[in-house]
Amino acid sequence: MIACVAVIGHQNNPLYIQSFTEADDALKLHHIVHCSLDVVEERVNNPKKSGPTLNETFLGLLYPTENYKVYGYLTNTKVKFILVTTDLDVRDADVRNFFRRFHAAYVDAVSNPFHVPGKKITSKTFAERVSNIVKSFGLSSAG
Amino acid sequence: MAREVSESCIDSLLTEMVSSYCNRFDANKPELAGRRIEAIGYQVGHQLAERYTMERPRFSDHLEAIKFICKDFWSEVFKKQIDNLKTNHRGTFVLQDNKFRWLARMSVDPSIENVDLSQDTSALAENKATQAMGMHLYFPCGIIRGALSNLGIPCAVSADISNLPACSFVVRIKA
Amino acid sequence: MDPGTTPLGKMLLEEITPVVMVLRTPLVEEACLKNDLSFIQMLSPFCTFSNIDVPVRTSSDQPYRLQKFKLRLFYESDIRQPNLEVAKERLKQVITQAGEKDNSELCSDPPPIGSESEILPSWFEFFNKELVRTVSFSDHEAFDHPVACLLVVSSKDEQPINRFVDLFNTNKLPSLLNDGAMDPKILKHYLLVHDNQDRSSEKATKLLTEMKNTFGTNDCHMLCINSSQDGQIEHQDSLWAPCKSVASPNQHLGCLLNIDDLNEIKDLMQELSSKHIIPYMEQKVRALNQQVSATRKGFRNQIKNLWWRKGKEDTPDSPSGLMYTFSSIESQIRVLGDYAFMLRDYELALSNYRLISTDYKLDKAWKRYAGVQEMMGLAYFMLDQSRKEAEYCMENAFNTYLKIGSSGQQNATRCGLWWIEMLKTRDQYKEAATVYFRICSEESLHSAVMLEQASYCYLLSQPRMLHKYGFHLVLSGDRYKKCDQIKHAIRTYRSAISVYKGTTWSYIKDHVYFHIGQWYAFLGMYDVAFTHLLEVLTCSHQSKTTQELFLREFLQIVQRTGKTFEALKLQLPVINISSLKVVFEDHRTYASPAVASVRESLWRSLEEDMIPSLSTARTNWLELQSKLLPKKYKESNICVAGEAIKVDIEFENPLKIPISISSVSLICELSELDEMTSDTSHSATELWNDEHKLLGDMSSDASLFTLSEVDFTLGGDETKLVQLTVTPKVEGSLRIVGIRWKLSGSVVGYYSLESNLGKRKTAKGRRKPKHSPGNDLKFVVIKSLPKLEGFIHSLPEKAYAGDLRHLVLELRNQSEFSVKNLKMKISHPRFLNIGDHEDLNLEIPDCLEKKTNVEQTDVPADSKKVSHGVFLFPEDISIEGERPLLWPLWLRAAVPGTISLYIVIYYEMGDASSVMRYRTLRMHYNLQVLPSLDVSFTISPCPSKLQEFLVRMDVVNKTSSESFQVNQLSSVGWQWEISLLQAVDAIFPSQSLIAGQALSCFFMLKSLRKSSRTEEKISSLSRSPGSDVRLAPEGNKDALFDICCSPLADFHDCERLQQHELSNQEDTNTVDFILISRPLKSDINPGTSDAPRLFSHHACHCSTASASPISWVVAGPRTKCHDFSVSFCEINLRMIIYNASDAVASVGINTHDSPGGNVQLSDGNTVASGNQAGWHSLSPVDDIKINSDVLGSNVGKSQSPESVSPFIWSGTSSTRVQLEPMSSTEIPLQICVFSPGTYDLSNYVLNWNLLHVNNEENVGKTKQTSGTSPGYPYYLTVLPSD
Repeated sequence: MIACVAVIGHQNNPLYIQSFTEADDALKLHHIVHCSLDVVEERVNNPKKSGPTLNETFLGLLYPTENYKVYGYLTNTKVKFILVTTDLDVRDADVRNFFRRFHAAYVDAVSNPFHVPGKKITSKTFAERVSNIVKSFGLSSAG
Repeated sequence: MAREVSESCIDSLLTEMVSSYCNRFDANKPELAGRRIEAIGYQVGHQLAERYTMERPRFSDHLEAIKFICKDFWSEVFKKQIDNLKTNHRGTFVLQDNKFRWLARMSVDPSIENVDLSQDTSALAENKATQAMGMHLYFPCGIIRGALSNLGIPCAVSADISNLPACSFVVRIKA
Repeated sequence: MDPGTTPLGKMLLEEITPVVMVLRTPLVEEACLKNDLSFIQMLSPFCTFSNIDVPVRTSSDQPYRLQKFKLRLFYESDIRQPNLEVAKERLKQVITQAGEKDNSELCSDPPPIGSESEILPSWFEFFNKELVRTVSFSDHEAFDHPVACLLVVSSKDEQPINRFVDLFNTNKLPSLLNDGAMDPKILKHYLLVHDNQDRSSEKATKLLTEMKNTFGTNDCHMLCINSSQDGQIEHQDSLWAPCKSVASPNQHLGCLLNIDDLNEIKDLMQELSSKHIIPYMEQKVRALNQQVSATRKGFRNQIKNLWWRKGKEDTPDSPSGLMYTFSSIESQIRVLGDYAFMLRDYELALSNYRLISTDYKLDKAWKRYAGVQEMMGLAYFMLDQSRKEAEYCMENAFNTYLKIGSSGQQNATRCGLWWIEMLKTRDQYKEAATVYFRICSEESLHSAVMLEQASYCYLLSQPRMLHKYGFHLVLSGDRYKKCDQIKHAIRTYRSAISVYKGTTWSYIKDHVYFHIGQWYAFLGMYDVAFTHLLEVLTCSHQSKTTQELFLREFLQIVQRTGKTFEALKLQLPVINISSLKVVFEDHRTYASPAVASVRESLWRSLEEDMIPSLSTARTNWLELQSKLLPKKYKESNICVAGEAIKVDIEFENPLKIPISISSVSLICELSELDEMTSDTSHSATELWNDEHKLLGDMSSDASLFTLSEVDFTLGGDETKLVQLTVTPKVEGSLRIVGIRWKLSGSVVGYYSLESNLGKRKTAKGRRKPKHSPGNDLKFVVIKSLPKLEGFIHSLPEKAYAGDLRHLVLELRNQSEFSVKNLKMKISHPRFLNIGDHEDLNLEIPDCLEKKTNVEQTDVPADSKKVSHGVFLFPEDISIEGERPLLWPLWLRAAVPGTISLYIVIYYEMGDASSVMRYRTLRMHYNLQVLPSLDVSFTISPCPSKLQEFLVRMDVVNKTSSESFQVNQLSSVGWQWEISLLQAVDAIFPSQSLIAGQALSCFFMLKSLRKSSRTEEKISSLSRSPGSDVRLAPEGNKDALFDICCSPLADFHDCERLQQHELSNQEDTNTVDFILISRPLKSDINPGTSDAPRLFSHHACHCSTASASPISWVVAGPRTKCHDFSVSFCEINLRMIIYNASDAVASVGINTHDSPGGNVQLSDGNTVASGNQAGWHSLSPVDDIKINSDVLGSNVGKSQSPESVSPFIWSGTSSTRVQLEPMSSTEIPLQICVFSPGTYDLSNYVLNWNLLHVNNEENVGKTKQTSGTSPGYPYYLTVLPSD
């Protein structure tokens, strides 16, 4: 189950953080996302450790915390997507697929002429789309 | 996913935009109008870059990004690639499009054409035409700049139409 | 790099050194305690040797020299595993002390990131050491086992020899020796301590010899202490520094030990270590080494060993490892390893450790295995080779310790710490941090410290990992808090702030700030708590409950302090600076606040021809009095003492919960003029520094000015516009500095207007550079002046169009000084008109009723001094004191729609001495005019008679409910006379127009002028008695109204002007009508019928001219008898042509004889029906009907197509005449008729064109300049005479 997804701007400023857990651990998730930024930077700075192929947007598993797994994704425009999930065996394909769709949603959101680049994403449609993507996470590993 | 837009619509939209900025909003302040149009282009480029780089690995250096602009980005926007890319290896790139689409259908104000072609008038017509063209080039320049800066490459972009219909964009990357 | 110099190396060289067990008698302690030192403390400084230059030969044959060396002395009682609880207590103490220690910088701001070295707390090292010590004297490792034993007896003891013996009796010895974990046969040394203060030392020396005889010569020593008598020996502090107890820092230790005592001690220890302990150790190492190599080296031994291990496969594995007694080969190898380690022969140590680690592994003696791995790691490190190996070993050991559960926890910690140090020395801070993280036990205090250290590792790692730094700080902070180490918690959180400050991670930020605030409050440091909680207050992103929580906490803290806090940057509520609006009255005064919002330019345009020299509205009078005031006030605003300055500003509540705000007021400072210079140099920032001073003398300022205070509550997400006022009382220069308010009665917030205005200016770039925003808030207060207040009585909100009312303008002047030279201007004279003073108490409609003896008496309008729209009140009028000036106004709702009426009243001060010469009072009213009667007139010339016109009046009642009673219709001007065509009752059967009813009726209008001269008309047009038609039913008794008396006439002039603009009719012969009506008396309830009102509707410039300026009539006989047997009949006719235009016209008449006059007739009809439709329907056609009825046959006959033309025009078939303007002429015509019948003589055409003498006024006129018009039908009946 996905605990939290986040979009982080290229200045490490949160553009969108949404947690999908009942418990109010928003703060904790914020912290986890915030910390993951370090790992992202690390991955990017010495690419040998980073994702399977060089400079791939998908950064793979950033780090496992005691009860979360944190995955990262870094777009060409230095925007970071963070996925915090609670289930322990996650198929890589699922995560990639998730990030692909999430990225698409993000692109559509920021292509809205009324969206100010670098500001928080407040679009309702984006939120809906994300929650749909989250719901369907892991259900279809194909493409 | 890939949405399509009638090319004629785009052309007329651009023409209208340029004319309304030059003749209506900021008439008699051409440089301001230019900046406005460039800003619009910037935003467009900014967003397009986001979209067109979706499925590709990150660029490791500037050259890659520029190449992306020349190949994929350009063919997404103009259905053709940049024909010629030059660089002095000091952060300046020259992207040349031998038949730049948005200038292809531009015609110079007939009123100037019609006058008897004595030297001065023709010259006047000449630079009037280039001026008009220049106005139309702020937008693509803005697009390039927006795309690059979104890819983390702050730069200044200018256009050169010394030999039409070829148009070359000069990208100076700010160190 | 020499590993020995690294922190870890140093630590090892201190911690892993030979232990000497000390057994002493109480008297010995006693002797030492004279120096406030225990025996061991006394010796300890001399147990570390920086270069004790001892040759050591262990396994290999060539010796190496040992430089650094240290002995660790312990009393026998201390040589055992410290129990956990005590250890924990000890650690807790350490932490708490540390917390107390850095209490000082608890209030100071956290240092910025980058100065790591100083923020890394110093007590970590100490703490870690303590942590390591908690697991000393474990039986699974040998380096804590005592190498030697020192038995100490005082010379005062009786029979010391026996004492020596029973000191070392087994039941008092530590368990290590008893339960066989180590060899009970241990190197012993006998020391006799002699206190020189007791007795001379010969007895002691005797004892020593005695000892030597019993215990052997070289194992006995004597130590004389306390040789100094006075006990004032000072030593450098470093000596016993570690022993200084915090309890009494100024005790001076070792006061009785003089220098040779110290030397003696030094020699003793030197000898002990170099001559005895080290040699003992090396020979033991050698022995063990041989033994080990004998039994274990070589292939055979390996095999045997393995086989043997297999043999005891089935033995239960006991991690405690008591299966290994000191005599067991494993223990001995371990001892060998440890001794070698302590003697720095790391290769030897390593090899042996390797040897047994496999054994232990096979035996599953995990703890020992881990211990050995640990030592291997350290050995690798000290050898500074194969880091991977070292780290592998440490990790291995660490995991193994953890694996064996709680018993291994402590060791795991120690091992982890060493490992971390190892990583740190290799700059692998990130890994170190992770190890710290793994050390964390569930026991929170311990893990708090570990996490904090981890965080610093992240900070030090390259590149920095600030995010994790912050996170771990927060984590450890929480842990600290859990075990009430609040100060530590605060410290960690505060350093965490430096990470989150300035980022948009608001949730985390709020959390951090909020908790710091809470904790400070917990410590009672409310001010700091306050400042931190301020950061959290405006958390619009938080949930409602969180916001409530924050606010509640904040207020609680404030209450707990008891005093009201003053916060310079209190963000609650948010003040919307862009909404700032300052309204003040200098020479411009406003009748009502709403008036101030009207555009200034509009007022200017109104005032410009009233005010002398209106160069720039603000400073014009200053130019006159520039000597009175310094130049620089010209750009600052002027206000008058005693008159309020109003400041409108918006408060916004960012939260979802309501907040109550009280005593909102401005902060102002009012200084005398002369010290103005100093004050203008005030910048806002300085001002905030001496803010409190400013508040201090707020009370004293009360004498200088008064402030309004506002209280209100803001609901969730609500914004309120609040008006604040300041009223200066004395002259000077007033500055509005800022705004202060109280948040829920306890917190005072300040807001500096100036600085924020400045910000706003910089924010949005383009502003007029010439006048800085601050100047909007600077005022020069001048001494109080008279000020007019005015309002209009009974001005209706809404009225029906045409409504005519009598209003009264009241002007008051509160001050005792008088004002004079009043002028007034009204924006819409068409609606509002100024009456004469005498008709102040007139009554509509009576005042308008025509008196019997009228015409000459009514006043001409020129009596009022109206100079281009400005009304000058009589000079004698001056207003002062309480006596108001009343002045009549006439209101007429001219046209439907909403009209805003602007009125400006200009007045000058009574005494010229006052700084301001004049002021203006601005009034503004909105009037909604509803449509009532809609009157339109159509005029057409009457063909039968020149100078007579038919007027058709169309009246529509546009109202929804009102019904009107039309009273009279008047035509203005003497040259017109209007009269009824029908009886009134025929026109108004119902005597009134009910709502929505339309009606049209006809009047006859006669022009009284002969061919009139233009100029006289113009002159007399202005005020000329028109003619009236009473439309009221006969029964009605009320009189006609005089359209020439003042209000009606004035309004009519306005209307003329107005409508002139609308229809640019230049042509001269137009007529104006005034329809006067009144609302029908509501007979349903006469009681409520209000004061009788009057409606006047003006229609001006109704053109009498038809489409063509040429009008004509054909005159002649209508019937004629003729005897056709004689000849055909000749008939003479006259055509009178009138030129109504103001130009010379040339008219040509063309007659043509064509068959079928009927065709002409029909033609004539259609053409004529353009504008004479109204006419045809009337009289002449009826006659025709009659005629044609009589003579139908003839008409029929005449219509027969085959008949030739029944008559011809004789005489000229075409005539042309010139016509002067406004003149008429007469042309003779003649026809010949050949047979009797009725003929229509309309088959002629007039073509005319105007020869314009003065073209320019005619350009663009719709009126045609030439045209042709067919003839009117003229019916002639010729009868045969017989």
